[in-house]
Amino acid sequence: MNKKWAAFLLALLLSFALLTGCESIPLSVSVDMGQASTPAPTLYSQDDAQITLADIPEYDGEAYIAIHGNTPYFTPEEMTTTSFETYSSLDALGRCGLAYANVGQDLMPTEERGSIGQVKPTGWHTVKYDCVDGKYLYNRCHLIGFQLTGENANEENLITGTRYLNIEGMLPFENMVADYVKETDNHVLYRVTPLFAGDNLLASGVLLEGYSVEDAGEGVCFCVYAYNVQPGVEIDYATGDSALAEDSQADMQAGEAADYVLNTNTMKFHLPTCSSVEDISDAARENYHVARDALISQGYDPCKRCNP
Amino acid sequence: MKLIVCLDDKNGMAFNHRRQSRDRVVLERIQKLAEGACLRMSPYSAKLFPESSALASPDFLQQAKDGDFCFIELEDGSACEERVQRVIVFRWNRVYPADLHFGIDLGAWHRISAEEFPGSSHEKITMEVYQK
Repeated sequence: MNKKWAAFLLALLLSFALLTGCESIPLSVSVDMGQASTPAPTLYSQDDAQITLADIPEYDGEAYIAIHGNTPYFTPEEMTTTSFETYSSLDALGRCGLAYANVGQDLMPTEERGSIGQVKPTGWHTVKYDCVDGKYLYNRCHLIGFQLTGENANEENLITGTRYLNIEGMLPFENMVADYVKETDNHVLYRVTPLFAGDNLLASGVLLEGYSVEDAGEGVCFCVYAYNVQPGVEIDYATGDSALAEDSQADMQAGEAADYVLNTNTMKFHLPTCSSVEDISDAARENYHVARDALISQGYDPCKRCNP
Repeated sequence: MKLIVCLDDKNGMAFNHRRQSRDRVVLERIQKLAEGACLRMSPYSAKLFPESSALASPDFLQQAKDGDFCFIELEDGSACEERVQRVIVFRWNRVYPADLHFGIDLGAWHRISAEEFPGSSHEKITMEVYQK
């Protein structure tokens, strides 16, 4: 099949998909900018599409939420079966902008990942908390994951993100896209937009968009916002400074007894408010008021969702 | 009925009406498991398999008889739990986005076997078999 016919068929397929598939992809989005006192930051903008932080609900215990009906803002004109990757220049404050790729197998890394420790994204601090998986609050978060494009120590592709954002918010989507591309040899349009409020050095979160091209979104289609938060830690987004939260998360450290729910099948322990608790069978569920360290010494691991 | 399901580390199955992941090796294993028996699934799942290897129908769970294998991806399985004699779980050993989770609590079932094997795009997949 020659390229002209391939392009024609792809456009035809896409037009059909936009009408019937991944909900429907709007060609134009306009949102009220909200509060007038501080300028609402532009999350993602192209000629006629805008979203702002004002549209994002407060963090409510989920690492990411679907927005815009889980439908990305790609337009038909953006669909292509040619791989590419682009990264925005840093702004005047040294902050990253959107990163955008059409992920194909030809972009995926063929070598082991190197060091990225030399990059210091805005808001960076090396700080540790016992309540954080792996201790370190901040990770250098690839906007477009290394496993997708092999782009590693590129300062235009690295933001300061919490461990929670990195592992719970972004990695699951990178995994999904990577698997799909490897298994199908298709392409996935993948765009990550960090969202900064005002002149903050730390992003409030990231917009993640994905759409599989050759099958018109049947394989991959999402539009989510992932929160740059860390349960148990309070963060000053202007500077990246942080402190242990005063609520129960902090109190649970250092051997103080607290309420936990154990899953004796998975050997995980949870906060009573964790959404995973409802999935535990009666036979495997045990409630305890006990020190966190005592549970760990008995072989239990903290749930990665609620980070008890 | 023997249920076949793929799960991530949080018992997730799908996100935004799409499977979390796929792997050629798992698909081959499913076909092999169901050799000589009836393999049922939805039309969505059937696109992953050679045309002759599966019976595709939107109401495949209702149509399934004792001994049939049913591969579920966008169905959480809870509606047919009473009729399920065995559950075969393929664990991806990774975490994916999820808004659909497996609806059968395997805590009350007996795990009768577990086997690890490499997939085509997954480093380690675990196949577990549960029986009531």
